Amino acid sequence: MVPITANFQRERPLHPEAAALLERIFERGWADPAKLHLESRRAAILLQEAKESLAGHLGLTPDELYFLGEPALGFHLGITGLLSPESSLIYSGIDRQEVMAVAASHEQTGGHSQKLRVGLLGEVEAFQSAPTDVLAWQLANGETGIFRTQFPRGQHGQIFCDATSSGALVALPEGWKSALWEATAWGGPAGIGIFGLAENAIWRNPIPHLDGRRVPGGFSLPLALASSVALDHHMAEISTAAKKLQGINQEIRNFVATEIGECDIAGTISDTNPEILSLSFLYIDAERLLTELDAAGFAVDSGSACSSMNLTPSHVLAEMGLLTGGNIRLRLNADTEPTAIAEFLKTLQVKVAALRS
Amino acid sequence: MDPKLIDARGKRCPLPIIETAKEVAKMELGQTIELLSDDPATQNDLAAWARMTGNQSELIEVHRFKITKLS
Repeated sequence: MVPITANFQRERPLHPEAAALLERIFERGWADPAKLHLESRRAAILLQEAKESLAGHLGLTPDELYFLGEPALGFHLGITGLLSPESSLIYSGIDRQEVMAVAASHEQTGGHSQKLRVGLLGEVEAFQSAPTDVLAWQLANGETGIFRTQFPRGQHGQIFCDATSSGALVALPEGWKSALWEATAWGGPAGIGIFGLAENAIWRNPIPHLDGRRVPGGFSLPLALASSVALDHHMAEISTAAKKLQGINQEIRNFVATEIGECDIAGTISDTNPEILSLSFLYIDAERLLTELDAAGFAVDSGSACSSMNLTPSHVLAEMGLLTGGNIRLRLNADTEPTAIAEFLKTLQVKVAALRS
Repeated sequence: MDPKLIDARGKRCPLPIIETAKEVAKMELGQTIELLSDDPATQNDLAAWARMTGNQSELIEVHRFKITKLS
């Protein structure tokens, strides 16, 4: 069996430095930072340091950064908070389901929304936005890894940025108003979201509230601190890791194209997050391929209908016009040994050939 | 003469695409067949298959597709 470093699933192990520090952080960061005791003041200092560090890496000020105990809540806060009854919510067909849920809710209350079509390479169709409109802009797609680094010019709408997959790899576009990150994007812990709200945003808290707080306060202080530690290390290692990941990603792309064939590979190496690779093989039942790979010691994800609970294919692959059947998604780790990659590719080739025959 | 019809209703991915590909492999260039499939993935995946293999597919009515061999 191949060790855990060859796990190719979306979820990945906590960054070792964050894992090592987490226990100590739980000892030091248990107090409520809003209170006046010594331990609370110490916790408040730790929290402020974490906010300053995170804000520096993510491109906002500490005062614009908030922690969320439920990361997905940030879609509602970030988008609905910018919407007015006159707003049109503009989003793309490969956005996360949470964005589409907000769009449906906006329409149910009489609002308007516009879903932009997306092409084979992740390009979004041309659009126009008015100053009252809200634009949900995904900086990187979590299923395909495709980056959106260029924000279209001439837009006047209020921009919500989904940075849950891009992490710190893609800068916020000029004029952003709200943003959401998940610490898992940089090897931080699950269960902590980072919400950004620009100082100049015209935003109303969409959650019923009695005081002036902008987000619910129910988040884990240790997880917030660990997310900061993880991002510090992630940024220090990113240039070395990115080169290794690009090499692994290109090796897999080349092997699949030349040695296996009849495979739809999402995006190009130059415009995707090298950690993520989406492969769709013709004439393959993804569930059977996943099972075969799992039995051989390799854990991968899939966006195919036959492997999903609700039997509907990945809306991302379908929107882009990519093959949804026979899909596997790989999350690559820079520390995966070359021998594990070679063994995985050999196994993949054998299993695909066997299933096709 | 009506084109040959593959009835893949009730079959899930990737069977409708596999059955189509097997039939197309036996056809001459320019020949057409029709496919009946109610799998929700078929419309997208048949178009992707056509793009990847250099053939053509179109939805002609609900759950009914026309495939033309071009390569």
